[in-house]
Amino acid sequence: MDNYREEHSDMPEWLLKDENYKLQSDRDTFVNKSILSLLQVISRIKTQDSAKIKKYKVNVPLKLAFTFLLLIMLSVSRSFIFVIIINVYLLLMLSMMEAEQIIKILKVSLGMAFFTFVIMLPAVFWGNSFSGIMITTKAFATITAVGIVSHTTKWSSITSALKRFFVPDMFILVLDITIKYIVMLGDFTLNMLYALKLRSVGKNRDKYASLSGIAGTMFIKSKEMAEDMYAAMECRGFTGEYHVYGKLKHTLVDYIYILINIGIILMFFYFGRK
Amino acid sequence: MIEIKDVNYSYSDVNALNNINIRIEKGEAVALMGPNGSGKSTLLKLINGIISPDSGVYKFNHEEITHKKLQDNKFTKLLHQKIGFVFQNSDTQLFCSNVYDEIAFGPRQMGMNEADVEKRVNDCLDLLGIQQFRDRTPYHLSGGEKRKVALACVLSLNPEVIVLDEPMNGLDPRTQRWLVEFLVKFNKAGKTLITSTHNLELVHEISSRAILFDETHTIAADTTTEKLLENIELLKKVNLVDPNVNYKNHNSHLEV
Repeated sequence: MDNYREEHSDMPEWLLKDENYKLQSDRDTFVNKSILSLLQVISRIKTQDSAKIKKYKVNVPLKLAFTFLLLIMLSVSRSFIFVIIINVYLLLMLSMMEAEQIIKILKVSLGMAFFTFVIMLPAVFWGNSFSGIMITTKAFATITAVGIVSHTTKWSSITSALKRFFVPDMFILVLDITIKYIVMLGDFTLNMLYALKLRSVGKNRDKYASLSGIAGTMFIKSKEMAEDMYAAMECRGFTGEYHVYGKLKHTLVDYIYILINIGIILMFFYFGRK
Repeated sequence: MIEIKDVNYSYSDVNALNNINIRIEKGEAVALMGPNGSGKSTLLKLINGIISPDSGVYKFNHEEITHKKLQDNKFTKLLHQKIGFVFQNSDTQLFCSNVYDEIAFGPRQMGMNEADVEKRVNDCLDLLGIQQFRDRTPYHLSGGEKRKVALACVLSLNPEVIVLDEPMNGLDPRTQRWLVEFLVKFNKAGKTLITSTHNLELVHEISSRAILFDETHTIAADTTTEKLLENIELLKKVNLVDPNVNYKNHNSHLEV
C-alpha cells in the first residue's frame, strides 16, 4: 500500500488537511468520576475469582450461618466485655488477611463507627456515654464481620450457600443473574463512557443529553440481553427449577472454625447471664 | 509519530503488555495481529490515552504521554482529537438520538458554527454512503450500518490517526469489502491507520506492516504484512491459523 496523499482522492477537502483545532475547554469531572467508580465495581467483582479469595478455605454455608448468628448475638448482647471480645476476635481474623484487604475493610468499619459515634454524641453529652461507646463498638464489629465475609467469599459461593438455607431457587437464580449482568452491563457502560470521553474533544453544551443517551442505550441493551437469555433458557429446557450442586465437605479448618464459634456462643450466654 | 518504548502494562496481577517496542510513522498502515488475550486491545487503549503504561515510555508527536498528563482534561481532549478510536462493538460508541447528531457531536464540540457542522456531517454521510440514515436512531441500524456511523463519528473529528479494534468482526462479506476499500482510500489520503485484526484474508489489503503478538504478550514479529503471511509456521505457533491444516501461499493470500 502506498503511503502518500493521492492528488485525486474523493475524500472531502477538510479530511485531507491537518485539523487546526483550538481547544474549547470544558469540565468533564462527571464522566471521569463515573469511569473510575465503574472500574472499581467491575474490578471488585472480577477479583472474586482471584487466588486471593480462593485461599480462604472455610466452608461458605458455615461461614454465613455463624456470621449471621454473630450479628444477632452482637445486636442483642448487653455485655460490653462480650462485644470487646468479639472485636478482638474479628481484629485477629483481620490480621491474618492481606494488607490491601485489611485496609479496605478497616476503612469502611472505622468510617461507619465514626458516623455512629457522631449520631450517638447527644446521648454522650446527656450523660449516657456507655450507650454511645457500646453502640459504636457494636457497629464497628458488625461492619468488620460483614467485610471479612464479603472479602473472603466469592459471590457465586454465597448464592450457592443460600440453597442450604432453603432460600427459593428462583431467588438464587435472580441473584446469580444479577451478579453476572452487573459485570456485563458494567463493561458495556464503561466502554460507552470511554467512547464519550474519547469523542468529547471540546465543550459539550448538552452533557446531560449525552448521559441520558448512554442510559437509554443501556436500557435497550439490557432488555435485549434479557430477551435473549429468556429464549436461550427456553431452548435449554429451563422449567423454573434451578439446581445448585456442591458437596458439603468439611475440612480441619471448618472444625476449628466451628469450635471457635461454639466458644463465642458459650461466651454470649456466660456474659449475658446477669 | 507514535513511539512506544519498553512498555509494560498489567491489569491487577494479570500481565497484558510485556516489554513492547513499536515506532509508527505518519501515514503508515499497521495491523496488530495475535491470538485472543495477547494484548492487542490493551495496546490500542494505550495508544488512545485511555490507560498509561506501568513502565516504559509512550510518545505521540514527540510528546510523552504520562499518567499525570492524562489527568489533564485539556491535554486529553487535544490527544483524542488527533487519535480517533473505532470500538469493536459499535453499540458502545453510539449514544445520540439520531445519526446526524451522532456525527455532529464531535464538530459541535470543536466550536464550529452550525453551517460548517452541517457540511462536515453531510460530507461524512456521503463518504460512507449512509445519507439515507441521517434521521434514523443509531441503535436500530444493522451491524454494518452501525459500524459505518461509528466510523463517520470518528472521521468528523478529522483525526491524524485512526485506530480500529477488530473492524471486520460481525460484518457480512460485502460490508467487509466496502470497509477495506474505504480504509485503503483513507490511508492514501495521508492518514495513519492502526488496525487490530484476526482476519488473515484481508489484512494484507489494509496494512503494509504487521505487528504480531504472541500469548506471552510480547511482540513475536514486526515486519511487512506479506512477509508475515508467508511465515505460516509462526502464525501456527501463535495460534492464528489452524495447526491441523496444510496451507499454501499464493499472491500473499492465505489459501487452504
